[in-house]
Amino acid sequence: MFPRVFVTGIGIITAAGNGADENLDSLTALRTGIGKLSGFPSIHNNIPVAEVKYGNDELAGLAGLSPGDKYTRNTLLSLVAARQAINSSGLRQAGRRSGAVFANTTGGMDFNEKYYLSLLQSDEYSDYISLFDTADCGEKTALHFGIKHNVTTISTACSSSANAIMTGARLIRNGYLDTVLAGGSDALTKFALNGFLALEILSSSGCKPFDRNRDGLTIGEGAAFLVLESEKTADPQRVICEISGYANANEAFHATSSTAEGTGAALAMSEALKTASLSASDIEYINAHGTGTEINDLSEGAAIMRIFGDRIPFVSSTKAFTGHTLGAAGAVEAVFSILAIQHQVVMPGLNFTEQMPELSFIPQVRSFPHTIKNVMSNSFGFGGSNTTLIFSKVQ
Amino acid sequence: MKAWIRSNGIISPQLTYSASAFPETVTGIFTDRLSCIEPDYRELINPVLLRRMPRIIKMGLASARLCIDRAGGVIPGGIIVGTGLGCLDNLEKFLVEMLQKDEKITTVLPFINSTHNAVAAQVSMLLKNQSYSTTYSHRGFSFESALLDALMLLNERKALNVMAGGIDECTSDFHRLHSYLAAWKKPLNNLDLLSANTEGSISGEGSAFFMLTSEKGIGNVSVDGVRFFLSAENADPVEVLEEGRSFLLENGFLPGDIDVFMPGLNGDSRTDGIYHLVYERLFAGKPVACWKHLCGEYYTSTAFAFWLASEILDSQRIPETAMINKKKTGLLRSILIYNRTGKKEHSFILLTRNTL
Repeated sequence: MFPRVFVTGIGIITAAGNGADENLDSLTALRTGIGKLSGFPSIHNNIPVAEVKYGNDELAGLAGLSPGDKYTRNTLLSLVAARQAINSSGLRQAGRRSGAVFANTTGGMDFNEKYYLSLLQSDEYSDYISLFDTADCGEKTALHFGIKHNVTTISTACSSSANAIMTGARLIRNGYLDTVLAGGSDALTKFALNGFLALEILSSSGCKPFDRNRDGLTIGEGAAFLVLESEKTADPQRVICEISGYANANEAFHATSSTAEGTGAALAMSEALKTASLSASDIEYINAHGTGTEINDLSEGAAIMRIFGDRIPFVSSTKAFTGHTLGAAGAVEAVFSILAIQHQVVMPGLNFTEQMPELSFIPQVRSFPHTIKNVMSNSFGFGGSNTTLIFSKVQ
Repeated sequence: MKAWIRSNGIISPQLTYSASAFPETVTGIFTDRLSCIEPDYRELINPVLLRRMPRIIKMGLASARLCIDRAGGVIPGGIIVGTGLGCLDNLEKFLVEMLQKDEKITTVLPFINSTHNAVAAQVSMLLKNQSYSTTYSHRGFSFESALLDALMLLNERKALNVMAGGIDECTSDFHRLHSYLAAWKKPLNNLDLLSANTEGSISGEGSAFFMLTSEKGIGNVSVDGVRFFLSAENADPVEVLEEGRSFLLENGFLPGDIDVFMPGLNGDSRTDGIYHLVYERLFAGKPVACWKHLCGEYYTSTAFAFWLASEILDSQRIPETAMINKKKTGLLRSILIYNRTGKKEHSFILLTRNTL
């Protein structure tokens, strides 16, 4: 009754590169995108960040726009990644019901930061007001590609784009649409940098996921999109893999933290396995949320141990390459999970030296070939929002 | 998939929190900004939690609490929120402090409270509910997206009951910035909004939650479908009419079957034309009920419209203050809500009454 959902296109831009190939190369070569802040002046420029290595005019060029147009950096990133996803899938809208589900956390915050104070005094920059919110990016991206129906945006903090992919898949499963552009984007902003810094969860040297001496996350930016298609309409030649499972659970514990036992994370993982009709032993690789904060890696690690027992799959967090791209993270990591299936490799982490005493496993630190049939991708956010996606090789 | 409306909880610029039915008298005040009539939150939320709680979260928690209580304490298997602006008040606070103090932040609380999913998260926490939770934040599609997600969750049999809501708060800064865009009229009595025939509208706000269930026989009114789409900047009326017709057809209706048409008229002479056109071309002669003169214009005002429509179908009576043409009404079995936000966003919601 519910049709299967296939991935037929992917697009990605992060600090680790523009496009799937560049990102894969960076990961294989263990080359991080984390570096020094250059995008905007800040008193916190000693904090490492993961910036996309293109200015806004260059991004406009990559997106096929004229430089100088009124686009926020978030929208530019979104357009670049969506264009790749659509080109790689040959998204055919004719005769198909298409839609788009976007995700971000700070919308056009870069324009907000530039113009907000003066707008409180005068209307000089009133043309920019409509660019501030979370909807502007998705609306512009959708219209750019002629997508009109079911265009929406999810904002659930750091699980936003995992939820967008889940909603996209469900719109197809429930028969509302045949094909969906789903993913998310976030630009690096002073707002998020200061917020995470005030929460005292930013690493001073670059995030060290699942390391005993981890000292916080590294904030990044980027965008990633998938083209999802119903098995009923997808061209079999273009099918990359299947979204076989997904789940969203709320930990209902704390606004910005999670339980040490990872109750919500474990619930999302076990429910996702259920929707995929898979057992834990079917998963070969977990692309972890793995932010590198004290509490995330502890609770996610505990949840992984609870679900997988003594047969823990390969685990890594690719955030050591891309930084934590917030609203884009779920989609960025979905792309890495898909690349693992496409290329039959385990994705590496970085910056690991010492095992966490609480955990029975260590993260992978290099890329190597392996049979990969099913990959689990975790995304957890503020507000206890936990989402797990499972991607499977199509037999 | 259709879902039955089990209960509601709504805080709005009208006195709507104390009973689920439409209030006996409506509020008309001279203003360019309608604010919610709020309950005594201490009666609905633990007072210890109320301290330092942002107003939008109070509104969200209180209306969710009312909704659950009126559903007899049923435990939702999903909590889905639509909010166009999210927790804008705290976002502005953190932003302004950061900019004015050159990043020397003194408090992180506004940052925590600025996340768009803060309302949904607090509802989950209040209820200790670990089920599905998500937040849509896409201007005039926010509540519609939440509604569609709820219908899917019920269709997937992931839950028997899902709570979906729409919430937005008007902040002073938002009101000021949008006054630059000529969004608001000069102050007037809100009850005269729809006949003003001038540019702009009145800003509004509100929080409305609904317990939806797939269990037949609970509640008299169901939501049968929702559709939202983007048009070009200047909507081609033919496109809107076509979307409306095909949406109704998809749900087994012809325009002539609709008993009450609810257009999102907001008194703005620049944009109200499309509603008149849809009325004349598809629903001429039908009773018309409106809502924005009661709650103001805001991104999730369709949640207020959804409540009004469900009350009309349930009570079989269109409140005089909501009805803008004096047409004779027979049995009221179906209502179509059509709303447009900005220049490009259009949505339809279809509600029906099951048996009469």
